[in-house]
Amino acid sequence: MSAETRPGTPVRPADTRGSASGRGLSRLDRDLRNALVLFAVSIVLIFASRGLGPGFGSLAQIKAILLISSFVMVVAFGQQMVVLIGGLDLSVASMMTLGGILAFNWIGDSSAALVWGVPAILLVTAAIGACSGIGISLLGVPPFIMTLAMGIMLYGATLGFTQGTPTGAASPMLSALFAPTAIGVPMLYLMVLFTLAGWFVQTRTAFGRRLYALGINPTAAYVAGLPVRRLTIATYAISGASAGLGGILLVGYVSGVTLMMGQSYLLPSVAAVVIGGTSIVGGRGIYPGAVAGAILLTTLSTIVSSLGIPEGWRTIIYGAVIFVALVLLRDDLQHLLGRRRRKPGKD
Amino acid sequence: MKMRGNGKGLLFAAALAACAGAAFHGPAEAQDKKFKIYLSMSYSGNGYQTETSNLIKALAATPPYDKMVELKTVISGTDVQAQASAYESMISAGADAIITFPISATGLNRAIHHACEKHVLVYTYSATVTEPCARTVSYITAGFAQNTAQWLVNTLNGKGKVFIDRGVPGNSVDKMNYDGAMSVFKKYPGIQIIAEYYGMWSSQATQQETAKALAAHPDVDAVFGENGEDGIVKAMLAAGMQKLVPVTGENTNGFRLALANPDLRKRGLTGISSGDPINVSGYAFKLMMEELTGKRKVSVHNIEYPLPWVPADKVKVCAGDKFEDGCNAFPADKVPDSFNTEVFDPVLTPELSLTSALNGTPTPGATIQPLPGDIVRQAPDVPGINCGKCEAPADLFKLTKVQATVQP
Repeated sequence: MSAETRPGTPVRPADTRGSASGRGLSRLDRDLRNALVLFAVSIVLIFASRGLGPGFGSLAQIKAILLISSFVMVVAFGQQMVVLIGGLDLSVASMMTLGGILAFNWIGDSSAALVWGVPAILLVTAAIGACSGIGISLLGVPPFIMTLAMGIMLYGATLGFTQGTPTGAASPMLSALFAPTAIGVPMLYLMVLFTLAGWFVQTRTAFGRRLYALGINPTAAYVAGLPVRRLTIATYAISGASAGLGGILLVGYVSGVTLMMGQSYLLPSVAAVVIGGTSIVGGRGIYPGAVAGAILLTTLSTIVSSLGIPEGWRTIIYGAVIFVALVLLRDDLQHLLGRRRRKPGKD
Repeated sequence: MKMRGNGKGLLFAAALAACAGAAFHGPAEAQDKKFKIYLSMSYSGNGYQTETSNLIKALAATPPYDKMVELKTVISGTDVQAQASAYESMISAGADAIITFPISATGLNRAIHHACEKHVLVYTYSATVTEPCARTVSYITAGFAQNTAQWLVNTLNGKGKVFIDRGVPGNSVDKMNYDGAMSVFKKYPGIQIIAEYYGMWSSQATQQETAKALAAHPDVDAVFGENGEDGIVKAMLAAGMQKLVPVTGENTNGFRLALANPDLRKRGLTGISSGDPINVSGYAFKLMMEELTGKRKVSVHNIEYPLPWVPADKVKVCAGDKFEDGCNAFPADKVPDSFNTEVFDPVLTPELSLTSALNGTPTPGATIQPLPGDIVRQAPDVPGINCGKCEAPADLFKLTKVQATVQP
């Protein structure tokens, strides 16, 4: 039995875990340690790839990896919140596409429209996410069925809305986020800010703590008087908004939209969350972990796709690494390793 | 129409054909009644699919076809079986003709063969099938890849590092394109393929994959691309490359505009815009109507659509909504960058305009113009693409648009 289902686990388990042994890295919160390990693995991978080509391990490659991983990162934020309460959001692909299409259509090439356009789009995608939350919490539809259905309906809606050919333009200000300037690429700074903000919301706000409580034991959370339904609806709304934001950013990057643009982000968003140490049954995991997972996934795919090996092998390697990462980062395995280092009886 | 099968099947088919006699309309009564025509799409949702179907809808609503044609559209999804059963429903609903984007080159043969037996005319556009009784209208065999690859080799003077941006893995069209390009690249030992990736025929995936490859190989000299090639240019710009390299690709509007951009040209961008034309569906529909109404006898099964070929210095932005005065791209505010530009052709489909492609509506005042008399070109056999048990001609990948100016 993994740690989070034991009775008596405090509302914020992250605080009390891994602090027992008190030496070096292990003094750190275990979830944060996971994240740091993933970052380290990414760095090692990048440097290990040196010599494979002139650009491998270069600053340009690192920048490209970070920029490309930013979309997975943003979508993974909402996905992780949902996973934290024991759910899953399969509508993020269509939601991302919707965000992109709306940004293309509503904001267009006007910079002024960004001011109202971005909040408006986030509201729309949050409202749709909230609908999924209502279906799940009030009607009792299983999350993956509800969000799958929502994703399909959204896909149909965007298809009908655009007739297959979205019209509009990409906002130059959005594109500027991804353009190199004298002080680096603006998006990279935003990524750091977004990561810190996400982490703060999860671990330093009442809302975040309630999500962990809900994920650890919904019944206990309900008995303790937490507004379970409202929390669920709000969480799916956040997932909708973050997928919508991912779509808006993607328009800035590619300066265009397609009706399938979100498709390639659904699996990575789940994989990044899980690789990042978030328990798929809910209750534990922190955003820096998901961010590190997103970066590791992108690093891998970047290196593998630049190696010039056949696509079949690339996919096998990609899948194998995700598998190995999941096995190595498994909660009970970590728990076991942690226990071995501790004095018996203390855990 | 050719019939195959054993004696029993033939007898059965004959009996069915006799029963369906009333539903079979010869040329004589063509003008008196409405033709029941089905547009069968496998999937929808990318611009390409929607644009191709819009052209057919627009033509079917253009006089005099608006009075002669009852067009019904069926989208059956990415499942082969679903499209096959959609064909069967159309046959039993008394279709005169089916015009279709087939999801599989081989999986639909049985249903198509059944349609032919029932004297339903079957035309496929863009994608092909190997069933010999169907008419396939496609650019696939027109030599896109080998010609653009040779152009690239000529431009590089036979020496350089090249990226290959492929389409969707496992797709027969992607394989055809790849084989065509490699038939050229392999001849030149000075050409080094340093990265090969799948852009999924999408601008966005192409941009990301190119960005990854550029980060690892900033010393690239040229990029060979399939559809989504505007993403290649965007990736180079996003990577901050001052000196741009030649790019070949298909006909997205963003790519054509980039090729016409004087600043980018000054930084070294050049290329060829070629590839899969949307208008193949419009041409297929007109050809099908001419055969159905008895205006033309089509004896060729695999019909080749001519390859678009627009070098960088020939890109011309249109003032209006039609290809007039040799223009071949639209201003950026009219269509998205990923819009496939070859939506009509002044010779094959003068009835169409940009709004036809975007909305499926006919061009006001336009009437259907007959196709030029000698327009039908036979496509070469390609096993698994447009024929089953056949052999590809030895010169399948011959050059048709460019000459090799550099020898290996």
